[in-house]
Amino acid sequence: MNTKLKVSEISKIYPGCIANDKVSLEFGSGKIYALLGENGAGKSTLVKILSGVVKPDEGKVFLNDESIKLNSPLDAKKNNIGMVFQHFNLFETLSVFENLSIDSDKKDEDLRVLVNDILKKYNFKIDLDVPVLNLSAGQKQKVEIIRCLIRNPKVLIMDEPTSVLTEQETDDLFVSLKQFSKDGILIIYITHKLKEVLSLCDEVAVMRKGKVVSVSNTIDEKIESLANKMVGENLNTIKKKINNFKNSEEILKISNLNFKSDDPYETNLNNLNLSLKKGECLGIAGISGNGQNELFQILSGEIITEDTSIMFRNKEIGKLNPRERREYLMAFSPEDRISQAAVPELKIYENVALNNFKSSNFFEKGLVNEKKIKEHSKKILSNFSVNTDNVELKSQFLSGGNLQKLIIGRELITSPELLVCFNPTWGLDVGAINYIHETLIQINEQGKSSILISTDNDELLKLSDRICVIYKGKLSKIMSADTVNAEKLGILMGGGSID
Amino acid sequence: MEVQLIKIEKRNDVSRSIYFLTPVLAIFLTLFGGGIIFFILGFNPIEALKFFFITPISDLYGLSELLIKATPLCLIAIGLSFCFKSNNWNIGAEGQLIFGGVVGGGVALLFYNHDGFYVLPIIILSGAIGGMLFAMIPAILKTYFNTNEILVSLMLVYVAKLLLDYLVVGPWSNPEGFNFPETRQFSESARMPILFDGLRIHAGIFITLITVFLSWLILYKTYLGFQIKVSGFSLKTAKYAGFKGKTMIIIVFMISGACAGLAGVGEITGPIGQLHRNISPDYGFTAIIVAFLGRLNPVGIIFASLIVALTYLGAETAQIFLQVPKYTGQVFQGMILFFLLGSDYLLFFKIKFLGLKKNEL
Repeated sequence: MNTKLKVSEISKIYPGCIANDKVSLEFGSGKIYALLGENGAGKSTLVKILSGVVKPDEGKVFLNDESIKLNSPLDAKKNNIGMVFQHFNLFETLSVFENLSIDSDKKDEDLRVLVNDILKKYNFKIDLDVPVLNLSAGQKQKVEIIRCLIRNPKVLIMDEPTSVLTEQETDDLFVSLKQFSKDGILIIYITHKLKEVLSLCDEVAVMRKGKVVSVSNTIDEKIESLANKMVGENLNTIKKKINNFKNSEEILKISNLNFKSDDPYETNLNNLNLSLKKGECLGIAGISGNGQNELFQILSGEIITEDTSIMFRNKEIGKLNPRERREYLMAFSPEDRISQAAVPELKIYENVALNNFKSSNFFEKGLVNEKKIKEHSKKILSNFSVNTDNVELKSQFLSGGNLQKLIIGRELITSPELLVCFNPTWGLDVGAINYIHETLIQINEQGKSSILISTDNDELLKLSDRICVIYKGKLSKIMSADTVNAEKLGILMGGGSID
Repeated sequence: MEVQLIKIEKRNDVSRSIYFLTPVLAIFLTLFGGGIIFFILGFNPIEALKFFFITPISDLYGLSELLIKATPLCLIAIGLSFCFKSNNWNIGAEGQLIFGGVVGGGVALLFYNHDGFYVLPIIILSGAIGGMLFAMIPAILKTYFNTNEILVSLMLVYVAKLLLDYLVVGPWSNPEGFNFPETRQFSESARMPILFDGLRIHAGIFITLITVFLSWLILYKTYLGFQIKVSGFSLKTAKYAGFKGKTMIIIVFMISGACAGLAGVGEITGPIGQLHRNISPDYGFTAIIVAFLGRLNPVGIIFASLIVALTYLGAETAQIFLQVPKYTGQVFQGMILFFLLGSDYLLFFKIKFLGLKKNEL
């Protein structure tokens, strides 16, 4: 059974971003293909097009030289294209077998025989009659894979399959995938982990900003070369003047911080250590989902930790909530501006009141000091050039850039000693990005410190004095920004190591 | 086979005036729907609706009865608005009302032989505390054991009902009452003062009005109100702002329970004057409709409570004049909620017809 899959000149444009820009790729059975790229490189869009979830604006998909229409996931199934998503689509309370029989048109007895054959053939050890919720992540993934195998897939697409797996489970998965490939199933493997590409795949296509930038055999590649292609060599941006803070006062110190989550989709943090000097900007790079969310919440106090694990200006703050931390002059700008940093349905001045602590006097004796809040809000609107002066306006009418300016303004107007921000320019236009970047450089110049957690390497290289990378909940060595380039970051972000 | 493709989209901006007008629309649709039901039953719909909605309030006595019914509804709904605004689903106001009534009634029986101005305030206060403590059960279970407050508060309603049953049949039943399931009549000083001779309207209405004003103050002018508002929109934001989530959950349940308890004690010291099995015609459940019909807004709730109270009275009149069961009132309450939810859905979402498509299934 020989399968050829070809995508030709696929384009998909979302408002404000070109997700796929004339993507053309060819795949043939017997090989495992890697699709490699950063967040937002366009991998997921391409995969969604192949699985019928998203319709391309232009371009065609050919299966064995025949043009096929993929208008819905049903079409993908009909064409024997199977897909295993990063997040599982299983009913937790139903048994494994019930989950498999739900979308199968076979009789239960026949299905059971078929499934048992598959289990035997690939040496999967899963009890078909236990509820899915009792399975480990790796086993759940196997159920998803079996669900595809039942349909005799010609093509099997795996979307970042190892992000929820342990190392042992990852090894097992690779063995199975190689076996599928031998049996003639064409495998497309989506990932941003460089090591996996080299150990598993035969060919690798790298995507960046919606375009395919290279297609090559993995034997010709090394971690460094792939990293370079993935993040792009874009080093001629204006850099902030990097300062040396050896003799400055230490403002924040995190030592031996651990976080273990009950939620399998959250990342555990292992033994974090970092320190920050007055006036310094520490950049934390990484591909999203490697623990940035958890780290931000630990810094902001949404997740509380051991008292001694975080010292801020020589005070133990691990157990304080965000409001109490603001009292010590910390400020926070979360990644999600629409459902966390601000409430779109609330008026501007009400959103400003969210940054509230005792000394802000927004609330006195439990009563709202509306006059004070509004005065304060007016100041923010003008100081941070938000394009309105109406504090009664609902925040949902602000553009992304203006909302972000409002949030950063709200956090900075209290002159905090430390600002923690997480992807502050995500989804903004160039003008707003520049404004936010200038503001962040300015606060460092005023002797205030900042921690910048970002998935945008250009931004990190532009603003940071020192940089480290978070990968699977661990921080890399912290490096001076002038010794780091995009290539090094790329290697660390993909789980590699540098000297 | 060809099928029509339908897509449901969220509307971005809903104007404030229309937001407050849809409840009015829902009421008109209810009248229309009610008219159709009466027509099918063989009545002249206009006449029937007149018996239902006009006759009951065409004299002073009727108006006083309307206020008597609206008083507890308004009070409970105001309390519930604290919970609902902050995404806490207290469905058990009926139980909190009954428990408040039980505690208040117990105190009233304790003071059976006492006269004095202090008796009534003590009873009222103990009723409020009773409701408050009863509401704290689902709140504490939710905050510390992650239980679902909808289920817990709802199930506690039956606990309260059975407790009341037990008390009026057993230990608290009137020793001179020929084993009827009821307590003694409370003494005069344990009763709400009547405002006008010949009418049943009592001083409880002032408690409700004061509560409405205080609630408005808390919801719109205090830090607690701000926290409730933010939590209602986004719990993530509330956490980020550093609000003490657990404390807030317990406080809103306490307020809500206290209001329901007050309503219960208002009933037994007002029109009823003793404890028996049926101290509330499901005011605690109906108040949920009132709260949403009034858009969780104190002023809106006042109007909504009057309208829903009218369905109680209308059902009684209709039973007398049209010989339809008084449960017709609940049909109308159900229709109000149905049309309100329906028009709300269309208010917040628009339905797009994308044209015909071949069904390939």
